[in-house]
Amino acid sequence: MLCNSAMTSPVRSEASVSAVIDTDVKVMSYRDALHWTMYDALRCHDSVILIGQGVDDHKGIFGSTIGLAEKFGSDRVMDTPLAEEGMTGVAIGAALNGLYPIQTHIRADFSLLAMNQIINLAAKYKYMFGGKFNVPMLIRMIVGRSWGQGAQHSQSLQSLFAHIPGLKVVMPSSSQTILDTYSMVIAEYQGPVISFEHRLMYDLNFHVDSRTMSRGGDPFGSHVVRQGEDVTIVATSIMVLEAMRAADHLAKVADIQCDVIDLHCVSHPDWDLVMQSVRKTGRLVVADTSWREYGVCAEVCRVVAERNPEYLKKPVVSLAMQPSPCPTAKSLEDLFYPDLRQFVNAVAKLVLGNEAHGVQLPDTQSMADVYKRFKGPF
Amino acid sequence: MNSTNMFERLFFQALRIRLVEERIIDLYPSDVIQSPVHLSIGQEAVAVGACHSLTHNDLVFCTYRSHAFYLAKGGSLNEMFAELYGKITGCARGKAGSMHLAAPDVGLMGTSAVVASTIPHAVGAALAAKRLSKDQVIVGVFGDGATEEGVYHESLNFAALHSLPVVFLCENNGLAVHSFRKARQNFDILGHAQSYGLPVYSVPEGYDFVKVAETMSAVIEQVRLSQEAVFVEIQTFRYKEHVGTGEDFSCGYRNLEDCQSWKRQDPLEQFPALVEAFRPMIMQEIDAAVHFAESSPFPSIEELLCDVV
Repeated sequence: MLCNSAMTSPVRSEASVSAVIDTDVKVMSYRDALHWTMYDALRCHDSVILIGQGVDDHKGIFGSTIGLAEKFGSDRVMDTPLAEEGMTGVAIGAALNGLYPIQTHIRADFSLLAMNQIINLAAKYKYMFGGKFNVPMLIRMIVGRSWGQGAQHSQSLQSLFAHIPGLKVVMPSSSQTILDTYSMVIAEYQGPVISFEHRLMYDLNFHVDSRTMSRGGDPFGSHVVRQGEDVTIVATSIMVLEAMRAADHLAKVADIQCDVIDLHCVSHPDWDLVMQSVRKTGRLVVADTSWREYGVCAEVCRVVAERNPEYLKKPVVSLAMQPSPCPTAKSLEDLFYPDLRQFVNAVAKLVLGNEAHGVQLPDTQSMADVYKRFKGPF
Repeated sequence: MNSTNMFERLFFQALRIRLVEERIIDLYPSDVIQSPVHLSIGQEAVAVGACHSLTHNDLVFCTYRSHAFYLAKGGSLNEMFAELYGKITGCARGKAGSMHLAAPDVGLMGTSAVVASTIPHAVGAALAAKRLSKDQVIVGVFGDGATEEGVYHESLNFAALHSLPVVFLCENNGLAVHSFRKARQNFDILGHAQSYGLPVYSVPEGYDFVKVAETMSAVIEQVRLSQEAVFVEIQTFRYKEHVGTGEDFSCGYRNLEDCQSWKRQDPLEQFPALVEAFRPMIMQEIDAAVHFAESSPFPSIEELLCDVV
């Protein structure tokens, strides 16, 4: 979980990450978890290649690949031409012939140029050929946000991919989920996996399991990250952190207890876990990093409506982006994304049943201002 | 192999492909094959000649028009007919139909119905072959229409940039569905490929399987030794309509005389005695494959959600 005391501590330098493998690590940034999993994958599996625009440069995909080309060689950590479809196809072909490619998109938005390869090919190779092929590969897509990233540098496109049979789509919400998910996926899973990493989390420090870098288990599992009786919050990516902040506040000021579920694998969530929680609380809030229309919010509602809508005492509440492209002016951007005040207000209203719920709301502060540890451009 | 033997062996393989597709034509009106077929008739020599020097360890990535390459590479005829019939014994358990044949056990990799989409797979497979020292030559097969796609450019560039053991093989039949090259291209295919630094070869006589085989044999040997990408363009001729089993010379956009003049060069048209000599043996095999398909069961409900992830 998010380590509050560590949020202001300096980020571990990238160069030192590979040295921490066997030490008693208790706190690790999202970036360092990514760097460690990339390092570990290259170290443990000769078949792994890391391929993407800028993976070998001095910025190294926001620090998550720095130094790896020097360590493992430019034939395993490869810069690429600006050719998203072609390079995704190259990764697929490499996967079909014995390699495990990890491909990066420094903005998820750029993956739209590779949709043909991802949807028409990677997602279909196994089924369309009767199980004769596997395409083991990991595509890392980074969701940009804040500091004017705007309409084409900030999109959170998980629902486009989660819609397609044949793809697994994950949204790591902490360092531990990265360590658990990536290690298992790379070592054991035989199909294409798309991971949405959130740029705002790169600089955050999290507690991690000090005994092992990976807890093992199902890399595609959903997790209850906080237990409560009053309301279920199903969240993805950084909205899990927002849900935890909202839950902390509500517990403190109004004794409202939230059951928070990190959906994690949005393409194949643990629906039983969601239904058990909704059955317990009777109230549901869905908090996603994208638009609500035809997305995670809509899908969670579909499943609850199909499985047992009678669990619900109240209508579902969705917290998501406004239905517009992302604006750049900070005044608009802060309105575009839901903030903590809206989050707390929505949950309080749902639990207490009226607008005048009387629950003290947190001070208005935009989410980006809370989490941001960088100044652009980046 | 002496030249007569080589001619006859390639002739047999090309004829086998043609007779298989003619059986598909015969069967099509009965609706037992419910799958869009893109016939290779007229283009058999490209596949037969190209696969002549490839081992089962070498990989070929193809298109939706791949009956010829599937058979030339060594794919099972029984499994092909069963696949066309939509049977569980098909090469893809009834999930591929005509457009997605595959036989990885003999190196026939993915075939895709989206133009140009497997070209980068050939490049990626070549990257893996090189990195893992697999001693493979990878062949990416595509039509002239594919050269207009952006991913084709991206693939040539990357293969040349990283010196990968891949043959880009353009089956140029001059048509993309119903559009001629002059309506589509303002570039020269060979010159364009050359601009990436790729060695280029051309075989204008794409009906001549011996010539195709000799050229491809030299090219494959070169790639095996040099581990560098090469481009080959082979002119060929599509005798049938784009999709389906009919001809489309009466539709007003193609010239029948062009086809007839090509056929005058086509050994399968010019050596009827050899056709008749080989026909019984081939027909026996085809009959058996059709029987295999017809007597196989359809996939049942447990197949529907099998092999999704």
